[in-house]
Amino acid sequence: MPDEIILRIAHMMIDELKLEDVTAETFDPDIDLIDEVGIDSMDLATIALIIRDEYGIRIDEDDYPKLTTIRLLAGYIEEKLKTAQENN
Amino acid sequence: MGASGQSCVKKQEKFSEIIADPTVRERWEKVRKYFFLRESTYDMTNRCNIRCEGCYYYEGDKQFAPENKSPDAWRNLMDEEKKRGITYVVLAGAEPSLAPELCEICFQKIPLGAIATNGLKFIPEAINYKIHISVWGNDETSFKTRRAKDMLLRQIENYRDDPRAVYVYTFTSENIRQAREIAQILAENQCRLTFNVFSAPVGYNGSLRHTEASLKETGNIMTELMSTYPEAVLYSHYNIVAHTHKLGLHELYSCSYPRMNPSVDIGLGRSFRQYMTDLTWDRAVSCCIPDTDCADCRHYAAGSAVVTARLFRHATDPYTFKSWLDYVDTYLSVWVMGYEKGKNLCDGPVPPPGISDNEQG
Repeated sequence: MPDEIILRIAHMMIDELKLEDVTAETFDPDIDLIDEVGIDSMDLATIALIIRDEYGIRIDEDDYPKLTTIRLLAGYIEEKLKTAQENN
Repeated sequence: MGASGQSCVKKQEKFSEIIADPTVRERWEKVRKYFFLRESTYDMTNRCNIRCEGCYYYEGDKQFAPENKSPDAWRNLMDEEKKRGITYVVLAGAEPSLAPELCEICFQKIPLGAIATNGLKFIPEAINYKIHISVWGNDETSFKTRRAKDMLLRQIENYRDDPRAVYVYTFTSENIRQAREIAQILAENQCRLTFNVFSAPVGYNGSLRHTEASLKETGNIMTELMSTYPEAVLYSHYNIVAHTHKLGLHELYSCSYPRMNPSVDIGLGRSFRQYMTDLTWDRAVSCCIPDTDCADCRHYAAGSAVVTARLFRHATDPYTFKSWLDYVDTYLSVWVMGYEKGKNLCDGPVPPPGISDNEQG
């Protein structure tokens, strides 16, 4: 499941942010999105909206600073999905 | 309010559905091209050719910083700013037109930016930044609060047919209705106009400070002028909501400038700096208008970053999102050379998201 989410987020990043020279398969899930890819708050907000559509979860604006890699984003989504399942 | 104001829909819709509307998608694609903008601000000189009541520059310690006039020092600073990702500069205090050689160095290094000026001294055309010319009422009021005669006439003559120029009318509690005659003069002279709302400096107890009633009247006049001079006025209904609400920008949107935002991880908290004339900066006081009372801040420059940054919370329903798009479209047309404002997508107000009903204005 986490690998699947990682791949999906990589696709979203590439499609939405028009990233070049990388594919979902070659996107390093541990690369720092802010320092090394150059993504900023507006880009993250855009990705958060796509994630909301796809997974039905909300990423709080206060949590953006913590979500600096694709792996961290995937873990965050997984955790939220688990909590939602437990509550249902 | 038409098809609009009443559609303050509470149901959250999918973002993909919201932007499926071709008009919305077109505007979204238009504005998102500018998400790369990363701003910082710079005081260019501690001199000014007038003295205005309520001036932000002559509050606090920044006015006492010595001037660094070295072109090499400014070149190096701009090189360093570029390296850390700054793509947009705001040249402000005290009066940048008195240091045109330094402004030109900034433009040569970082070609996107704006200059805040009183408009009394022409800034050479080689500096192709937006020029924000401050207007604080009619000539009588200008003379009283700024001690300068015939200001508007002199400003218009200096910047006639200049595509860089945007006149920024600051509504205080004392000049609200004067905006009518100013807007008429500016429109007759084919000038572009946007609005600012006086935000008191820390400790200011003068008569310019707004009350709930004066904010309401300000909003009404803004609405009237948008309707009367649609070609001249760069503004939207959501700008009016955000800047004349009884709550200030920080309470409505949680200010993201370093002065109010401890996070250094992302966004303005990470990249924004406010340099004084000695080219030093202090994170603890860094924001676009230092020494403003944050609780009273409704400043147009602050809103341009603070409201714009809150994309996620506005993507709840088509009307709220369109309002945000109108706001961002307005911001870009005021601040970015070559960006032309589109027709507003909303014809009425929408309340700021996340504010309880009893806190709504």
